[in-house]
Amino acid sequence: MSRFLFPRWSNALLPFVLVVGAIAPLYVTLLVAYGFSPKTLEGQYQPVQPVPFSHALHAGKLGMDCRYCHNTVENAAHAAVPPTQTCMNCHTQIHRESPNLAKVRDSYVTGMPIEWIKVHKVGDYAYFNHAAHVTRGVSCVECHGRVDQMEVVHRAQPLSMGWCLGCHRNPVDHVRPPEAVFELWKDTTTTWSKDERLGLINRFDIHPNEYCSTCHR
Amino acid sequence: MLPKFPKILVYGLLVGGSLALIPPVAFARMRATPSPNRPIHIFYDMDFQPKFKAQAPNPLFADGRAMRPIADGAVARGEAYADAHMDEGVVEGQWAVTLPAQMEMSTATLERGQQRFNIYCSACHGYAGFGDGAVNKRAMELVANAAGPVNGTQWVAAKSLHDETTRNQPMGQLFNTITHGIRNMAGYGAQIPTQDRWAIAAYVKALQLSQDAPSAK
Repeated sequence: MSRFLFPRWSNALLPFVLVVGAIAPLYVTLLVAYGFSPKTLEGQYQPVQPVPFSHALHAGKLGMDCRYCHNTVENAAHAAVPPTQTCMNCHTQIHRESPNLAKVRDSYVTGMPIEWIKVHKVGDYAYFNHAAHVTRGVSCVECHGRVDQMEVVHRAQPLSMGWCLGCHRNPVDHVRPPEAVFELWKDTTTTWSKDERLGLINRFDIHPNEYCSTCHR
Repeated sequence: MLPKFPKILVYGLLVGGSLALIPPVAFARMRATPSPNRPIHIFYDMDFQPKFKAQAPNPLFADGRAMRPIADGAVARGEAYADAHMDEGVVEGQWAVTLPAQMEMSTATLERGQQRFNIYCSACHGYAGFGDGAVNKRAMELVANAAGPVNGTQWVAAKSLHDETTRNQPMGQLFNTITHGIRNMAGYGAQIPTQDRWAIAAYVKALQLSQDAPSAK
């Protein structure tokens, strides 16, 4: 029985094995950190809604204020999806026979809700308050992106805890005068100087804290 | 000088190295492309708890709503009937010409009215009240379409608030119109709180005065 002898090239292979062996764990770690991060797994969520409502048309081209439909946003934690009545303020007349609006008309007649799909869902253990943010100068655009340019709404931000904390730790780059909160087309950091934004932080006493109980109750 | 490695080893390493590039590219693509196939939950934690949040579905009810519609005759807190002036815009059988006693005619009220007018009314009536809002313009385009009104759109041009008849309406009548609607305009009683409707009515009076100021003043 002949003994196994390592071929001559196996000596030269050793450095390669070491290099690959060093890179492989790094590769796996980075891949998991990048690929399993909320930005990859949760960002850009774009469900198909029961009615093809276009924010780009209503909020963008027609320039309707966010609050025309989401009228609870300044007073309540939850920014309400409007009742069918709000759609029918106009659509009893405009596009009143459109097949796209069939479900809206059905809902109007039967009183059954349209089953819109929630795009911006945070974990059930997190209690985000819309009113607390928009009345003190955090614009819709900070979390929802340029909804006024979206034909179909998608998640522009990961809505992860780390992402929330990014702003809670550095609010100055995310506040604007409260009267401009619903003007999505204005960019926060380029429209208002850092001094102006620091002034707002002082004026409205904005000190977002990082206590667990702020968001988790 | 490197010894001659077996071909299978060299190609295996090259192919393996190339394949290793695929996951990061796929993740990068995920981060940049909206998709209905998200969010992906690897760990559910307590993301989905057996409780009902605002506007969530609840299969226990026939209409599928977790939030129950207001029962007939129920009055929400803070929405009790105050008096004929506040809730109907009527004083001693006539349209009221002033704000109700609970409110004050002040710059703050008019500014609130302006803000609310711009949110809810300007879409059709235009920011200055001439009936030239963006929704009105679009509706007119849809009606004037060469191949016939699009999707059966019917539209009566939004009223200019500076017309003779509207200009002479008392504040209480404007309040009533905002609350209950008129002709093709829907009522906004459910969408705008009572005091805000009064603020809008007061602002409309101010707008009208701005276009019809007596020369002596």
